[in-house]
Amino acid sequence: MSQRRSGLLAAGVAVVALSFGLAACGGSDDDGGGSGSGTGANEVSIYSSFPLQGASRPTGISLQNGVQLALEQAGNKAGGVDINFVPLDDSTAQAGEWTPEAESANAKKAVQDDSAVAYIGTYNSGAAAISIPILNEAGLAMLSPGNTAVGLTSDAPGADTGIGEPDIYYPTGERNYARIVPKDTVQGAALAGLMDEDGCTKVGVLNDNEVYGKGLAANVIDAGSKFDYEFADGGAIDTQAANFRSTAKDFASQGVDCFVFGGITASNAVQLYKDMGAAMPDAKLYGPDGVGDSDFAGGLPADVASRTKVTVPTLSQEAYGKEGAKFFKDYAAKFGEDENKIGPFAIYGYEAGKLILDVLDRAEDPTNRADVVKAMFDTKDRNSILGKYSIDENGDTTLTDYGVFDIKNGDLTFDEKISAKPST
Amino acid sequence: MPVAFAIHDLSADGSLVRIGNNLKDGISNGAIWALVALGYTMVYGIVELINFAHGEVFMIGSFIAFAAFGWLGLDLTTAIPLLILGLALTLLISAIASGALNGMIEKVGYRPLRDAPKLAPLITAVGFSFILQNVGVLWLGGSQVSVPDLIGSQNLLFEVGGIDITNGDALSILTTIPLVLGLTLFIDRARMGKAMRATAQDPDAARLMGIDVDKTISATFLIGGVMAGAAGLIYALYQTTIWFHQGFEAGLIAFTAAVMGGIGNLRGAVVGGLIIGCIQQISDNRIGPEWTPVIVFAFLVLVMLVRPRGLLGEETRQAG
Repeated sequence: MSQRRSGLLAAGVAVVALSFGLAACGGSDDDGGGSGSGTGANEVSIYSSFPLQGASRPTGISLQNGVQLALEQAGNKAGGVDINFVPLDDSTAQAGEWTPEAESANAKKAVQDDSAVAYIGTYNSGAAAISIPILNEAGLAMLSPGNTAVGLTSDAPGADTGIGEPDIYYPTGERNYARIVPKDTVQGAALAGLMDEDGCTKVGVLNDNEVYGKGLAANVIDAGSKFDYEFADGGAIDTQAANFRSTAKDFASQGVDCFVFGGITASNAVQLYKDMGAAMPDAKLYGPDGVGDSDFAGGLPADVASRTKVTVPTLSQEAYGKEGAKFFKDYAAKFGEDENKIGPFAIYGYEAGKLILDVLDRAEDPTNRADVVKAMFDTKDRNSILGKYSIDENGDTTLTDYGVFDIKNGDLTFDEKISAKPST
Repeated sequence: MPVAFAIHDLSADGSLVRIGNNLKDGISNGAIWALVALGYTMVYGIVELINFAHGEVFMIGSFIAFAAFGWLGLDLTTAIPLLILGLALTLLISAIASGALNGMIEKVGYRPLRDAPKLAPLITAVGFSFILQNVGVLWLGGSQVSVPDLIGSQNLLFEVGGIDITNGDALSILTTIPLVLGLTLFIDRARMGKAMRATAQDPDAARLMGIDVDKTISATFLIGGVMAGAAGLIYALYQTTIWFHQGFEAGLIAFTAAVMGGIGNLRGAVVGGLIIGCIQQISDNRIGPEWTPVIVFAFLVLVMLVRPRGLLGEETRQAG
């Protein structure tokens, strides 16, 4: 009978494992292999991959909409070829966030499409860590408007050099990935400087143990080491935990007066900030762009929201001038949104689309993947809606501005601009 | 583990306040797991089925409670007497709806498979789990949803010897105790409770004695669902955040609690829930939250090695 019960329990475990395994096997329905040479056709495909379900949906949707708007405004043409935009979702309803299986399937789908010349995404750095190597082997250009993890492009502080970042993502030895959002050495410096300005004396730090969150927490600690305050590094949380009250009490007992989380909203961030706010009623709370969305801002109770600041690589709408004003107006009109409540990442999605259009214009053969990659890395002193920037040899942008946002009435509200100076 | 930290606290701080607070947090969290674990252990005890959908029934209980707050107009401005009345009504709604849901699942999904191989209802349970998760996604979306903090969950109610008792602690413990006592009395003394015990021991003999086994099994699912619905309300008020995935994690923990306490044993499920709650809180506070799942399951393995039938496991149809 013990054996009988053990057998039943084992069978149960096997059934669950099998069900998850089958779910993970969903893949591309396209056949064919990619090619590095030009197809000679007059149509190319641009793929995007963002989380369109779960807690990151607002950000994913605004990024995708931004790309779509840019392409449509150009009549879906650039470099003399027609553009077929293929938006993909790298999240699942069951997970409530991006999943490695979905992101891997998206990257493989793009690789197997001979007409694909660029892949715009991802939002989550962990997802990029999955797709960069897949796209790299196919020589397909990848442009991210959302990834900030340092290790994706360089071995600067915050990168996990122990696992071989960033080379581990580029099996061919050639770079194919660029981003237009400043990496987390910049955001870490912005958060660290902000906490110094606000008079923090002891900063509690937690992360969600993902590529982005863990790296960002390390960047904050690295950048903050030059200031007078101390750190209490609590390590990683169990993102599935029902609450974090005991961890919050541990911070309170250590005299923590400021708290920062390296992670995303989907990593149970709302519960985490609620518990930190309750255990430390006077503490100031800080969050990175990973929680810079309406689900996080709208989920916090008023007393916690009023003490929370979020850094996002977006500035006030006014800071983007006439071109920005037109973008926000067009976006609101096309997608039926309140012009003043457009997600902070929408403009990054838009610029990603605009840059790809520019890249196709400049590429020797816009149907050739290698030429598109080369043109992307040849981006120098580009006058964009985000300001003038270049893409360096690692694929990083030269932009460094971060916006600090307060939370008012459940909405992110721009407060100030920080031009951070990273240590590396 | 608590003893080791108590000795540490006495030598380092000269008091037991910190470990006291850890245990208090553990008991209030564990009380919720205990209520969910009761459903697992009752169902396993009577039909040898791991009802994987039970965690999701608990999740739906939270969602129904959240909806009931809206239907009844309960918010932060509601006067205390009305709030108490409203919450009592919500408890009733959530418990009855979850009980009915669990009963319906049994009738539609498990009863037709009563004589089928064990894997058939097991897979059906996994199926219902996914169905209910998706119902949750369609209902409130894929993100965590904040519930109005109607009771001031983390507000201090009183202090005993340096140990802070919050409104949430009081709600969790004071709601769970009567529910568990009531259920225990019901199983021990009520006619249906005796029928449940008889069916758990030997369904064929129970049938020969005139017990309606199908009805008894349905009642077991219904009662398990009622407990899950009550836990759903307490969870919503205690955590103030709910989402479609909460049932998966709660189900995993509660099933672990049921196994640790001795599957099929009601008191064991409660003890298991409280122990896991305490281990979680001590680990979060003392060792680091990233280690908590490892420590919980390492403790489960240890218990299984020493007492394969669980802490309070006894000779049953399944276990002996």
